[in-house]
Amino acid sequence: MLRIGIDIGGTFTDLTALEESGRAHLWKEPTTPADPMAAILTGLEGLAGSLDRPVAELLGEARLLVHGTTIATNTVIQRNGPRIGLLATKGFRDVLYFRDAWKPERFNMRFAPPEPFVERFLRRGVSERIGPAGQVVAPLDEDEVRRHAAYLGEHGVEAVAVAFLWSIVNPDHEHRAAAILREELPDAYVVCSADVVPEIREWERTSAAVLSAYVLPGIDAYFGRLKSDIAAAGLGEDPLIMQLNGGCAPIDEVLKRPVYALHSGPAAAPAAAAHHAGRRGLRDVITIDMGGTSFDVCLVREGRAARSRSIRVDQQPVGVEAVAVHSVGAGGGSIAYVDEGGALNVGPRSAGSVPGPAAYGAGGTEPTVTDANVVLGYLDPEAFLGGRRELRADLAEQAIAAGVGEPLGLDPVAAAAGVIRVVNASMTAAVRAVSVERGLDPRNFALVVGGGAGGLHASALARDLGIERVVIPREAGTLCAFGMTVTDVRHDYLQPLHCTSDSLDSAALDALYAGLEERGRARLGDDGFAAEEIRVERSVDARYPGQVYELTVAIPAAESYGPEHLAQIEDAFHAEHERQFGYRREELPVEFLHWRAAAVGRMDLLHEGAVAAVATTVAAAPLGERRVYVPALGEVAAVPLFKVEALATGSRVDGPAVVAGDTTTILLEPGDVLRCDEDDSFLIEVGKGGD
Amino acid sequence: MEPTQTMTTPTATAAGGDYDPITFSVILSRFDAIVEEMTRVLEKSAWTSILALAHDYSCAIYDAVPRQVSMYDALPIHTASLHIAVREIAEAFEGEINPGDVFLFNDPYSGNTHVGDFVTAAPVFADGRLVFWSVTKGHQMDTGAYIPSSVVASAADIYQEGITIPPMKMVEEGVLREDFFRLLLANLRYADLIEGDLRAQIGSIEKARQRLEELCAQYGTDVVLRYVDEIIGYSSRRAGQEFASMPDGTYTAEGWIDSDGFGREHIRVQVEVEIAGEEVRVDYAGSDPQARGGANGSYATSQAAGAVPFLYYIDADIPHNHGVIERVSVSAEEGTVCYAKFPASTSVATIVPSDLMQDVVNRAMVEAMPERVPAGGARCGNIPQFAGNGADGHSPWGFMLFNNAGAGGAAKGNDGWPLWYNQAALGGMKIQPIEQLELLYPVRIDRCEIDVDSVGFGQWLGGPGNICAVRPLVDEMVTITFGDAASNPPHGAMGGGQGSGGGQYVEDEQTGKRRFVSSSGAFKVDHTREVYVGVSTGGGGWGNPHERDAEQVRIDVRDGIVSREAAAEVFGVVLSADADPVIDADATAARRGELAKVERPVVSPTEPNASPWLKNQMRDGDTYELDPLL
Repeated sequence: MLRIGIDIGGTFTDLTALEESGRAHLWKEPTTPADPMAAILTGLEGLAGSLDRPVAELLGEARLLVHGTTIATNTVIQRNGPRIGLLATKGFRDVLYFRDAWKPERFNMRFAPPEPFVERFLRRGVSERIGPAGQVVAPLDEDEVRRHAAYLGEHGVEAVAVAFLWSIVNPDHEHRAAAILREELPDAYVVCSADVVPEIREWERTSAAVLSAYVLPGIDAYFGRLKSDIAAAGLGEDPLIMQLNGGCAPIDEVLKRPVYALHSGPAAAPAAAAHHAGRRGLRDVITIDMGGTSFDVCLVREGRAARSRSIRVDQQPVGVEAVAVHSVGAGGGSIAYVDEGGALNVGPRSAGSVPGPAAYGAGGTEPTVTDANVVLGYLDPEAFLGGRRELRADLAEQAIAAGVGEPLGLDPVAAAAGVIRVVNASMTAAVRAVSVERGLDPRNFALVVGGGAGGLHASALARDLGIERVVIPREAGTLCAFGMTVTDVRHDYLQPLHCTSDSLDSAALDALYAGLEERGRARLGDDGFAAEEIRVERSVDARYPGQVYELTVAIPAAESYGPEHLAQIEDAFHAEHERQFGYRREELPVEFLHWRAAAVGRMDLLHEGAVAAVATTVAAAPLGERRVYVPALGEVAAVPLFKVEALATGSRVDGPAVVAGDTTTILLEPGDVLRCDEDDSFLIEVGKGGD
Repeated sequence: MEPTQTMTTPTATAAGGDYDPITFSVILSRFDAIVEEMTRVLEKSAWTSILALAHDYSCAIYDAVPRQVSMYDALPIHTASLHIAVREIAEAFEGEINPGDVFLFNDPYSGNTHVGDFVTAAPVFADGRLVFWSVTKGHQMDTGAYIPSSVVASAADIYQEGITIPPMKMVEEGVLREDFFRLLLANLRYADLIEGDLRAQIGSIEKARQRLEELCAQYGTDVVLRYVDEIIGYSSRRAGQEFASMPDGTYTAEGWIDSDGFGREHIRVQVEVEIAGEEVRVDYAGSDPQARGGANGSYATSQAAGAVPFLYYIDADIPHNHGVIERVSVSAEEGTVCYAKFPASTSVATIVPSDLMQDVVNRAMVEAMPERVPAGGARCGNIPQFAGNGADGHSPWGFMLFNNAGAGGAAKGNDGWPLWYNQAALGGMKIQPIEQLELLYPVRIDRCEIDVDSVGFGQWLGGPGNICAVRPLVDEMVTITFGDAASNPPHGAMGGGQGSGGGQYVEDEQTGKRRFVSSSGAFKVDHTREVYVGVSTGGGGWGNPHERDAEQVRIDVRDGIVSREAAAEVFGVVLSADADPVIDADATAARRGELAKVERPVVSPTEPNASPWLKNQMRDGDTYELDPLL
């Protein structure tokens, strides 16, 4: 019995098979953008081959297959979705265009307003109006909806979003309009805003409905193909889809709220991190994942990933609460340059995979972070990606010398070391943004590292942030695909009930939660979960009366909410407000907007046994030496070289050293101690031990 | 007038070892990250929409001189002269500045912008010496003025604007001075909300204080201060290169403010800009005498307004610190609308005179460097403040409506943004969701959508204005407005057309009659029969309209941004009558050929009172009121 995770990325499709014993098998297959299924199917063959069995047998043994896909994200970023329409409350069809009115980059006069996803002539206003209490202010003009349907049909619309004001408290008009659209346009997809995210704030909600409509035709076709192709290859169960809320869900559920299919890959990293951390008794970790173009950070506290309600894809809000993966343009392909004023900058522009870093020898001449890592001796030109790609050290050095060294008057090594320091500083800033700036001290967290190059930067980041422990899982190179094998099924629900803590109608709240719980448990029941495998987490969006923005705080579950629960909720809010913003006002009541319930179907883990600290360690024997730049010494020195694959449980490596592997490379500084634990993952104690 | 931008020789700086370009980059980005964090804390924990949404606040770090070290993405009208306010505080409390202190200050006659802007500043100590100031400036919703607003075009003098605060110690070595705080709040409406905003400002500067102390501990105070010099020098160097690349010469322009709040219309602002090598001089001498109402500049705003356009003419990556500001010197004559004499009101200083003072610089410079200079944008019209007195069982309520704000001008290469707000904000504000407004206040919004043909026509269009209708559900709704650019609309550039100007009116739904009101004024809306309608201006266009891509014009018409008539007449694009129209290629070529022969002014309008909007809108029985008072 095993589990399979498949994560399609821009460059590679990563596959992971997790055995009952906890043993993970990894496979990387080049992504096939024109037909992503092709890489999945050949990748499955590679994965099956590494387990020494045919694909049908591998899939026959799989109890679970979770898939993360970039198809929805790419449709949005590349704007290659179908023509869609929007029905809005009459007078408000420009909600989508006005956005929140914010123009970023205040001093940049050459920044054009973003294109909305629906052309204005296909945004149609409908006579209807609901008020804040759910009352009908003006009835729905059904004939007008029919006329709009005909008009949208004439103009070749494939999907329609329906987003009316106040549908969150009374969705009748949205639902009726959707029914009419389905009658009139039987081939079109229809999405209602209140069904995707019943939250106040019409722009974000309209955006969620519009993005949903925009990606729906594409993902419906793709998921259909996925299901049939994988079934034909031998999978007995339907695949599950990784969602941006950090959990997975069956295909039919994702098709009801398609925004959940956005950002589906990166949202799995925290699950992987939480799993590894949990097995090592660590509750609070920060996960970092360094790819070719970006550096993703997420904070996991008490075993739960931080969440955000302001996630955007290509400047467009997804509207729903999601795992807060903070991304900055600092990856291996990020380009270093010296500006007119003589300052060294790295990123956010990236050399991408084509032409890629200069060292790839594919025509790239601008210096990148990867080139700097080559110049400093960290990456072995012959053994990159297990020898599948040769690196050109001479081209890397030329690029660094011409782009950074000469303008700054530094030799290539000093210039490359400078590039690394600057990129490390932006990575540090990204980690600070999710921790220090949220009132949390990173020193109390462990760092869990993903991405092939993550291990080269981890020790320096940990030092900068005062973090003492770094975990580099064996699966670091395919962290997200691994995360998919250890994630839970998750459905997020919420309902608005506006009140303050001194005017809360407890009976209404009890009824609200009874409804949400029933909905979540029923859905998970349909998904095949038994009652004891289901947990429902509750939270509320709260603020002080008069404030504009809310904080989401966890609240206790209760059959019947009484004063003691309310006091607990108020305390939690005051504390969170003070932690983030530095003050509290206990003399005031707390205002509540939306009440949330996350229904989680807990996958019984195949292996959740604790990984004990290895009691006795043996110093590993190096395979040789490599001359690398050692930051602490400020110079190039010969350091011992180790091979990832050759380190066994209980081995110990003292820095300075380089530990090189097929999909990941680790740099240890003087004072760092690396141990290989029983999971064959690496634990680094930063700046401890040594001489 | 005293000389501008006094430069003080750095005294609080010290040598910190050899210069290392990498450490430079790292420390530079740390300062920006600190100010970014200050900004986030203030936005997310603020109470009133002026701070949380309109972002009418600024966060910045100063050194001990004080020179601006970082302002990241703050409001330039606040920060380009904020060092004057910090200096005022430092001088007033010389010898009594201690760790844990927080100062409060708002006096426009000793270096602040206007009464509405509250400056909070905390000294930052490292190694026992004062090394930085952590500063926020936040526009408060109320200052205790004679009517419920902190931007009062009709204030006859500074005393009518409410409370003036000289530099005061609000927090003394970590302890809030409760007596002073009570005195302050007792003078303000919505005291609960404003207490929240002040606490958010203090929260923000405390974060920065902590971060700056950490930074000094990590790198050593001398090293950090040494790189402060380098950071300022870096900006100065890059700004100098940019200014040197601008054509040397003297450039002039003029523009007009709609009114002074007391019925004096079309007040003239004049500018002369001199580019000389790496330096820029901006002089407003010759502008009209000061206004009777609040539409006057203060010393601080006169200094900032002239410098702001040069912050967006240069590469947006150049950090906006003292090194840039010091290269632009600004002067204005005391007693003019640009720089008023005590005790005149400067209640609207940051917007009404300042927006136009920026605008005339744009008008002056566009022909010399068209690729750097945008067309004119909205100057804060259609941002009404609504208030109810609490009839019908409601408690007193009030809010500012941002959703009807005017649009930004086009620039070479892109159309303008909607909801630009004004030149001071440069588009950096947010609107309140319609649903949140209706949830919190007894109003219903009937409509908020693009106004066809409001854009300034051009090769690139100005952003569109919008029509917003607000219906009070209870009370007689007091409405106070304070804007500009209705009768003197945003200008078009390089052959582009002017924005629509727009305006506002109250419609009596029983009679169909409408009361039009000038861009500034105070009036009431009766919930039993009236609805407030604001029609905001589009931004100015850039370039000749007949050079706009014909397919794009077709889309503009299809999408209801531009009318079919304007497409043919002004853009020279002749279209079929279909919903998704087709271009008549022959007719279009002929029409465009004719239009190419017509010369269009470089900047338009060239005369005051150029908006035809009011005249086109007024029907029999409608009325027009100029600067009405309650």
